[in-house]
Amino acid sequence: MKRLQKDAVMLSLLEEMQANGSWCGETHLQKATYFLQELLEVPLGFDFILYKHGPFSFDLRDEITAMRGDFLIKYKTRPYPYGPSLVLDAGGARLKEKFPKTISQYSKTVCFVAETFGDKGVSELERLGTALYFTRRQNGKDEPLDLQMHKLKPHISPEEAQEALQKVADIVKMAKKAKLVQ
Amino acid sequence: MAHQQEIRDPIHNFIRLNAEERKVLDSVPFQRLRHIHQLALTYLLYPGATHKRFEHSLGVMELAGRVYDVVIDPDNLIEASVRELVPRKGDYKYGYWRLVLRMAALCHDLGHLPFSHAAERDLLPDGWNHERLTLEIIRSKEMGPIWDEIKINQEDVAKLAVGPENYKGKEYSDFEAILSEIIVGDAFGVDRIDYLLRDSHHIGVAYGRFDHYRLIDSLRILPKGDDSQEPVLGVDEGGLHSAEALILARYFMFTQVYCHHVRRIYDIHLKDFLMKWLSKGRFSIELDEHLAMTDDEINVALLRSAKDAKLPGHDEAKRIVRRNHFRLLYQRNPADLEKNQEACRAVYEAASENFGEDNVRFDSYRQKGGGLDFPVLGRDGRIASSLQMSETLARVPVVAEDYVFISSKIRGDAERWLEENRESIIASPREEDES
Repeated sequence: MKRLQKDAVMLSLLEEMQANGSWCGETHLQKATYFLQELLEVPLGFDFILYKHGPFSFDLRDEITAMRGDFLIKYKTRPYPYGPSLVLDAGGARLKEKFPKTISQYSKTVCFVAETFGDKGVSELERLGTALYFTRRQNGKDEPLDLQMHKLKPHISPEEAQEALQKVADIVKMAKKAKLVQ
Repeated sequence: MAHQQEIRDPIHNFIRLNAEERKVLDSVPFQRLRHIHQLALTYLLYPGATHKRFEHSLGVMELAGRVYDVVIDPDNLIEASVRELVPRKGDYKYGYWRLVLRMAALCHDLGHLPFSHAAERDLLPDGWNHERLTLEIIRSKEMGPIWDEIKINQEDVAKLAVGPENYKGKEYSDFEAILSEIIVGDAFGVDRIDYLLRDSHHIGVAYGRFDHYRLIDSLRILPKGDDSQEPVLGVDEGGLHSAEALILARYFMFTQVYCHHVRRIYDIHLKDFLMKWLSKGRFSIELDEHLAMTDDEINVALLRSAKDAKLPGHDEAKRIVRRNHFRLLYQRNPADLEKNQEACRAVYEAASENFGEDNVRFDSYRQKGGGLDFPVLGRDGRIASSLQMSETLARVPVVAEDYVFISSKIRGDAERWLEENRESIIASPREEDES
């Protein structure tokens, strides 16, 4: 996908997340994009690593900054205790008009991510993202995934890890049932 | 207490290091940095910009130690979750990680190519950048015995020196991530603090200056906020104005200096020269060859090629040596951007078609990193987003530049051509590519 096409998909994801109740700060957009790319297999080409609290992409962080620089998105401050939201800027709407086919091609997957994760807070997104990361990572260890998760991220209890892994497994099933992934 | 050596420095007055740290300073890879200009060919437009990576790296080491001492100070550890993360003063681990951090800061630029950043993506094989070369050097036979002698793990140094973006395949503990953030972090990385202060000092501009003493004194490890406990570097409210000054300094230095169009075109001419002069058009990733290649070798080659039409890169070298660089034809601007998101590229493509690719160059820069949204510890004990606490930060623009350059020989013709055709070129946005 070319850069502006990718930006158009990100813009529609941002709007859909907000339509589904998310105040969509940068962390929300990071995690939602991770699910869109890794769970729904939308070829955005971002390189995610497991960082301090969950999957994180430095490429995506740079792209979000570049989108602000190109007047596609902007910060909108929110009252305490919330951090800033990202919302469409003047160029965002114009860009979306230019890429109707790309947006339409990925609209079902974008809606699935927004409907599934739009109402989740940062902590839950971090836990679910980490659970998907561990589920996808093949490290050949015999140790159960919930314990592996807890060991690396001690602030996630084994019970929370188990719950997150189960939720991710259910979400994957839902995506398959909806024929969004194979 | 171990003997401390003092090095005079125009930014930090004295940089102090002990006998163990001196061994890293004296190593061949580190001494090479005496011959790598910090700002590539910027001295061709700002004559004072002749400083090198060597003194910058020393400055980064000095600042990293100062930040460590502040953020690990028990009096500054407000949150219980953060107190559990960090070693206690007096513990072996406290001293160990302080040494690792300072050595990682000292070594963070070891992999730089000659003339620093100039076009390394085009001049190295796929998958390589200066950070990967830095990793290889830290792990090399040259450096290995030094790490053994001063009793630190080379992988700990490597991890902190290049940060999680470039250290693939292994996860960072929260504490390691914070230490790495001290060096290369978006908002308060000491790499940036030092280069802004040092570059503005040498160039002779005031844009890069800010009260770094106050800023460093007010840095704290804080939970990121919202409902996330992720520990990150933030500031005490008393240091918020210094943080604003740092971020404004970054903005002005990028717009006025680092993205100055003449500096950018010299980078392009240098890349064009190197692609013709270097064997296979790329730098070697063999460490012996990398360490033997500095700005000095390239400068000699530039002078020779500029004089001799038979040598590779003659035309490109002449553009640099005789200062006959391509001239600015078109620059990104908000009015054209409203009509066409890719207005500059459209001008570049039309100009290339009309005047030939050899006579036209395109350049694009977008600011990297995030860095404006960090936690601030308020006087009332609440932790809030910096963007909520500071109206200034919420309004700092992102640096974004696009340029089209034209050969000076046809500048007049090109300017007339653009004046006549500008609106039609810009008014033709590309159609959506479905391929």
